[in-house]
Amino acid sequence: MEENDQAKTTATKGTDAARKVRAMVKNIYKSCHDAQAEGKKVAYIMVSSQYDEILRAMDIVPLPTENYAGLCAAKRDMDRFLTKAEEDGYSQVLCSYARIGLGFDSMRKDLGCMPENAPDGGMPLPDIILGSSGVCDPRFKWFQACGRFMTAPTYSIDVMHPAVHCDLNAVRDHYVRYQKEQFEGLIAFLEKQTGKPLNKERLWETIRLGDEAWRLWYESDLLRMSKPCVMPSQDHFSVMVPAYYYSGTQEAVDFFQDLVNEVKYKIENKLAVVKDEKYRILYGGGLPPWHTMWFFNYFESFGAVFVIENQYRGFDPVEVPGHVKDPVEFLAWRTFLRYTKRHEQARANSGNPVVERILDLIKDYDIDGVFFHACRSCRATTIGQIHTKNTLGRYTDLPMTQFVSDMVDLRDYSEAQWKAQIEAFLEALAARKRPL
Amino acid sequence: MNFAGIDIGSTMTKVVICNEHEQIVTAIIGPTGAEHRHLALAVMDEALKKTGMVFDQLGFITATGYGRINVPFADKQITEITCHARGVRAVVPSVRIVIDIGGQDSKGIKLGLDGRVSNFVMNDKCAAGTGRFLEVIAETLGINLADMGDLSMQAQSAVQISNTCTVFAEHEVTSRLAEGAKIPEICAGLHEAIAGRVVNMVRTLGIEKDVVVTGGGAKNRGLVKAIEGKVGFPVLTPPEPLITGALGAALMGKDLVEKGAVPDHERRLEGVTFFK
Amino acid sequence: MTSITQMEDLYTQRGKRARELHAAGQKVVGYFCCFVPDEIIAAFDMIPYRIQGCMSEPIDRADAHIEPMACPFARSCFNMAIKGDYSFLDGFVVPHSCDTIERMYHIWRENTPAAFNHFLNVPHMMGPSSDAFYRKELEFFIKALEDWSGKTFDPAKLKDAIKLYNQRRARLRELYALRKPDPPLVSGAEITQLLVAGMGMPADEHIELIDGLIGEIMRRPQPKGPKQPRIFIWGNEIDDTAFIKLVEESGASVVMDDLCTGSRFFWDDVPETADPLDGIVSRYLHIHCPRSYKPAAETREDDLENRFGYIGEFVKTWHADGVIFYIIRYCDTCELEGPDLREYLNVKGLPVLMIEDDYSTSTIGQLRTRVQAFLEMIV
Repeated sequence: MEENDQAKTTATKGTDAARKVRAMVKNIYKSCHDAQAEGKKVAYIMVSSQYDEILRAMDIVPLPTENYAGLCAAKRDMDRFLTKAEEDGYSQVLCSYARIGLGFDSMRKDLGCMPENAPDGGMPLPDIILGSSGVCDPRFKWFQACGRFMTAPTYSIDVMHPAVHCDLNAVRDHYVRYQKEQFEGLIAFLEKQTGKPLNKERLWETIRLGDEAWRLWYESDLLRMSKPCVMPSQDHFSVMVPAYYYSGTQEAVDFFQDLVNEVKYKIENKLAVVKDEKYRILYGGGLPPWHTMWFFNYFESFGAVFVIENQYRGFDPVEVPGHVKDPVEFLAWRTFLRYTKRHEQARANSGNPVVERILDLIKDYDIDGVFFHACRSCRATTIGQIHTKNTLGRYTDLPMTQFVSDMVDLRDYSEAQWKAQIEAFLEALAARKRPL
Repeated sequence: MNFAGIDIGSTMTKVVICNEHEQIVTAIIGPTGAEHRHLALAVMDEALKKTGMVFDQLGFITATGYGRINVPFADKQITEITCHARGVRAVVPSVRIVIDIGGQDSKGIKLGLDGRVSNFVMNDKCAAGTGRFLEVIAETLGINLADMGDLSMQAQSAVQISNTCTVFAEHEVTSRLAEGAKIPEICAGLHEAIAGRVVNMVRTLGIEKDVVVTGGGAKNRGLVKAIEGKVGFPVLTPPEPLITGALGAALMGKDLVEKGAVPDHERRLEGVTFFK
Repeated sequence: MTSITQMEDLYTQRGKRARELHAAGQKVVGYFCCFVPDEIIAAFDMIPYRIQGCMSEPIDRADAHIEPMACPFARSCFNMAIKGDYSFLDGFVVPHSCDTIERMYHIWRENTPAAFNHFLNVPHMMGPSSDAFYRKELEFFIKALEDWSGKTFDPAKLKDAIKLYNQRRARLRELYALRKPDPPLVSGAEITQLLVAGMGMPADEHIELIDGLIGEIMRRPQPKGPKQPRIFIWGNEIDDTAFIKLVEESGASVVMDDLCTGSRFFWDDVPETADPLDGIVSRYLHIHCPRSYKPAAETREDDLENRFGYIGEFVKTWHADGVIFYIIRYCDTCELEGPDLREYLNVKGLPVLMIEDDYSTSTIGQLRTRVQAFLEMIV
């Protein structure tokens, strides 16, 4: 395994902005260590739990355990953590983010210190653990299981949204109320932990920053419709770091302002990702294969560029009604509106909001083919891909393909198989572009 | 009084007859065929012939291994987990962990200080981590399974085989060959992969000294070396690693008789002559 | 016909009674998991039907619609639906019990819709605010049933249904009490058959069947034999006797369970409250499923006791010697819960065998050695 430690796993990026993200990732873990030295609270968090601005407003430093798992995979230093979790009795088919996290926690506990050469200095012991039920089940079960390895106070919230068939007018108040109560429960817990009350003015400020960063992020994605592509998907899977993990900070706003400027500049100067852009591919869903991100460049070597994504993408902007004067209520409304954005459109058309979004992306970005990544250990982002593909097939004849591996567990990945499948997909794209 | 143990594994059938002093009177190893019932009789018949004994001189017959239910003349069936532990304990009294690598499965057994099984793990319905995995790849490489151990000892380094799925690993081996990797290095890589998988599985039990490796895998020097690398200290292998299950079965019979057990049904022997 | 043969008949011919009732014009409402209150469906004079899979049939048609890394139980159910085995369901109700079941609702609904389809959102968190949320979801469910059936919801009928289902629960607990003697008076395989038979018939008929069975058990000669290990089973869906039989044929008695097809779905009564929905909410939202999150306690010890105390009571009262976890693969919540529960039980001195399986009778034989070795280890 020694010689493979040097193997390249990451992809060459298209933008300078994306290249700056590596340092921001490092800084996440560094700032956690620093914060603890300053007496601030560090919290294990789950991505997109809708509570980010609350944490920033209360000076709680987020420590994103899922991101850490992806980082270990990109550094090809995941096996020891996966193995440790499996030794502790966690199934090999359990979410591999969770396995890395729990394996890391277990190892840190056994050693009584940071595992040797842990990527980016390792995750310090958190002061608080904050789960949620948004996106998937392991987000609160994993953090519950952490109790085996540490004693940090743990709290989780529900993040719920209605099914697509619901009459939004009938259910809106009910969902907003519950979400608000969930946030209030969290705030009460955090106030107890920090000994400081939440300052609502500060919360408005972090919300303003959070929304502004996401508005700029959205703007950069709109710019990406321009042809040829100047910012490919591997860049997206980098810029999601400031978007999600710096949410509610000025740094995120500055980052995305720079990104927007750079994308504009590249478009004006036609600085394309590949010289001869033949095919524009949509990353249709599934967590990315962090262990093998260079596959984007492999596609590019055939003139095929991933131009937009339906994974780890920000929610489209939403308009919270003006009568909402309380920032916590604002967050509850925002959560509801984000999750139900395409429900009415879906009910009028395919019945499936994911399909609607993909159809919109196909049209807006002039897509030639759709790529899905099925992860063996991720139920939430994998189950439904085939169904989505089947439904899309009623509206488009674009080639669509589903690749299988895992987000971090390399044991589920076969390079030979991927290369063969890439070849076949490219042939399908070529056949459609140049009909006989 | 003599006691017989018969271990019907996926590829080999083993019979051990021992006396009340726990000494092996005879041991026979033959291939397992499709028809366990006949084979069990044939191997047992051969063992008896070798010792000049007849069935009635056997105080107890215990069957083990995955074909244990197909031994009509056995007085009792006991799993290979319990039997391996008992057999290894007779040969290496200090054993705490048994790692058995068989043809179609591999397992880890932990023995408590009292010598009894305190916990165990088995691999999960998958060829990776078993003899079968090596067999498939040996075929791909065009070499003999029996030579893999020695070949791997010649390697300067090991090629990394990251896939656990046998089919994927086959792909991977083919690509490594195409890239110019040498066969000994690939063999070493395969041993690393299997050892990694098996030792990880056994770690769930908590690894303690002494560790004893049994089964066909114990005859592969390269694999044993790789296991030692993962465990972090030397492991032991019995002089004849294939028969510990059958030996344990025979000894379990002895233990039972000492506790007052008597064969409670008539042994059906008619098949012996039929098979001849 | 004896109750035992009737039970075997209903077990083998799954859905037989529900099919008859459907043919006679009654509305049969199929649902997944433990979070859809039978009582509400019964209050509309409809027949609740707990959807089951089929462990002995290969999953051949579902792969075109749902990924193989989804729960094989859910895939099996859907496989049956595509083949038309669930055409007798007039209604289809799915709670948000876990990620896979939530996806299953949409895939099922779009491919094999019933006349009535409903999704019931269920909070993962537990607390007063979650109770209120779940109650509101139940009100939406009731409204949807009203719209579909053209009937008006009558709280008095819900109260009657609660009484009836509590009677069934009491009878089932009575039956489970027959597992306390050593050896138990009723086998684990018989219990599974009875529970599966009850998943697709009206509660009053099931009560009659349970009463008949208890009578026959009391009249038959009491089992004798050497002392065998007493096993407690924890896990998710066991709607087939194959695995329980394997354990019992290996020389053990399965004496108690915490399975969503076993005690988990029937153990606690619905409190008979002035507003019947209050009782329903307090009972159904507090079912012990790993997908529900009990607020964390201050210490590890308290947290485990808080989460698993009821299991501690079960293993003590039913004198379990060992515990087998039977987890259907890809169940993330069970797979995260298992190691914690094992820790809790090991502290109590109980050995645990963790099994992850594919929900298929064709592979069950491979578990035999593991189960037998475990039994050899604990005797």
